[in-house]
Amino acid sequence: MGLKSKFLFALILTSFSIAADIGISGANCAEYWVFVDSRLDSLNYKEHLTEKLKLSLSYKDLTLKGIFFFWDPSVAVPGELQYLDYTAQYKRDPVSILYGTYYTTFGRGLCLNQFLDEDFNNDNSLYGLKTDFRFLNSRLTLLTGTPRNIFFEELTYSIKNDTTDQIRGADFEMKWYPIFATETNIVTTIGGRYVRVNRVTDLTPKAFTELFGGNIGFKIGPWDSYFEYGRQWGTKPLVGGRLKGEGMLVTTGLAFPGFGFSVQYIDYDNMGFGGPGYRYNEPPTPIKSGISVNRGIDEIGYGVSLVASPFDFASVEIDNNKVSTHDEALSEFEQILKINDRMDGVLEQTIKIITHPTFDFEITVGLDKLTKQGIELPIEKKTETKPYADLSCDFGSFFVDVGYEHTFVSSDTSDYYDHAASFSIGKPELLVLSLRYERRNRVPGWLITKLGEETGWPMAELSLDITRRHNLRIRVGGEKGGLICSGGVCRFEEPFRGVKMVLTSIF
Amino acid sequence: MRKFVLIIMLPMLLVLADEGEAIDAPDFALEDVDGNTVCLDSLIQKGPVLMSFWALWCKMCIKELDALKPYANEFDSLNITLLAISQDKTRAVPKVKPFAMSHKWKYDVVLDPENTMRDLYHVQAMPTFFIIDQNKKIIFTHQGYKPGDEEIIISMVRELLAKGEEDGSEE
Repeated sequence: MGLKSKFLFALILTSFSIAADIGISGANCAEYWVFVDSRLDSLNYKEHLTEKLKLSLSYKDLTLKGIFFFWDPSVAVPGELQYLDYTAQYKRDPVSILYGTYYTTFGRGLCLNQFLDEDFNNDNSLYGLKTDFRFLNSRLTLLTGTPRNIFFEELTYSIKNDTTDQIRGADFEMKWYPIFATETNIVTTIGGRYVRVNRVTDLTPKAFTELFGGNIGFKIGPWDSYFEYGRQWGTKPLVGGRLKGEGMLVTTGLAFPGFGFSVQYIDYDNMGFGGPGYRYNEPPTPIKSGISVNRGIDEIGYGVSLVASPFDFASVEIDNNKVSTHDEALSEFEQILKINDRMDGVLEQTIKIITHPTFDFEITVGLDKLTKQGIELPIEKKTETKPYADLSCDFGSFFVDVGYEHTFVSSDTSDYYDHAASFSIGKPELLVLSLRYERRNRVPGWLITKLGEETGWPMAELSLDITRRHNLRIRVGGEKGGLICSGGVCRFEEPFRGVKMVLTSIF
Repeated sequence: MRKFVLIIMLPMLLVLADEGEAIDAPDFALEDVDGNTVCLDSLIQKGPVLMSFWALWCKMCIKELDALKPYANEFDSLNITLLAISQDKTRAVPKVKPFAMSHKWKYDVVLDPENTMRDLYHVQAMPTFFIIDQNKKIIFTHQGYKPGDEEIIISMVRELLAKGEEDGSEE
């Protein structure tokens, strides 16, 4: 059955089911862009049309889901991308059986992490069978599936890992509560997992990857700790021979009313597995802005986060996070804390203060500092320092928000700065009108090849609630582009000049 | 062009046909930040359930939950549960409880690192707010947050409670 026929069949099924006692729900996101590629010429208009329709039908313990996606650019190359994902799930405690497209994470993602990041257009799914059994505060997951990664970059959707690799995995987790009830909440979690991939597209003999892992966690009142260890072994991709790797993640945190503190430590040595540009696992990065160095191949670092509201009218958030490659010449402790000239790495330091002089008036001031080494090639070292301020005031029938940020960029070849001012006015449950102007004082040579020579980006956006279940956003103007990251995955966003329209609906 | 018409018309028809009609709330079981399991079935027996989808990176989500803080005691006294459903991925999970506690939220903060709830409730934008009545029907859905939207949420809750009282007195 062709893709269109399948979709038609799903629609007919939906129509008939309206009469029956079947629950129907869904959502739709339609996106239309018309824009000019500023690096070519001003008459070179392009169009994008993206449609994602989700339908869900449920009857007693059975749920059927379908997602129809198509992306239709105006250019012949690379051409359109469309697919229909479906899932059938039977769920009745203590068993859940699912067949179709699904997402799953084992532990914190050291061994397997197939996830959907809709806000970043990064879709890592598995297609196959997944079963869950829940019993006596325990959960056992068994799965098999073919991975697929659809990623949006350079204004194009593409399938990054078009392989027939088969992933098989098992994940077990058990919770222990104290036998005698205490006033303090105490929970202990223990887990173990196994993943195997027979890499059928790798032509080396018996190409495979196996991952083992375990975790232990404690929650004792305000104190929360978690430790996860993973080990990888298998054959080296494309060249054969034995590959070994291991990874470790430790987090601990304290939380009291008005105060929160968390510390994270990571150490990955050949833990990331997948292929060029994609991973089947995604070991966590401590960097808040989502940057990783090489996604679990060679990384060591820490994250420290403090959030406090000492007064009802003020709160402060402080983050100090670092990740880098290893340098065996240094001690373990130095490798965690330092980034020397031989390392690639990221150091992120942020502070944000939010005050409410009155209930309806909020002032936010902050400073973000990001130092990157060997991340944004061809630049070796780059430091971005961004002070910013934001004022918002709620007048009841309408609200106003004014913001300003100034980013000093210093690199090993040139210095420049970006600054941006924004103004928003809105009415509750109706609309928000935002105006933003960004400017760069000059464009360094290494950036011209990536982003063009533009130095100003005015933009206006209208967000309109058509009904409570419909929202329409229209954005007109320019976006400067640059490196953006989420969850350790980065892409170079193309500069944009044109119109974007997005209609989202829930039904 | 045909595709464009399809994109515009199909969701409009589906939604307009459905506008105002309550939808069944799908069941779920999630873990809260203290490691306890939270189920819709058990919550609904106590009273209506409010759900706010939020994340650490979502400025407007945090504003919405902060704006609802003054009503937390009222919700509690009326057996209304407000679930703050964190959509943060596994890497950010350790920061969720410290953040929620530092903001003095008295809500049930639950974790959804695989975003199964986002899929189950077809959340398209952050934040998205739902009100579920005791018949397990979604009676209110709201995408996004603008200062002042909390007043609409509160008026919907009060309307729901008044309706419940009326139904009770009629019986």
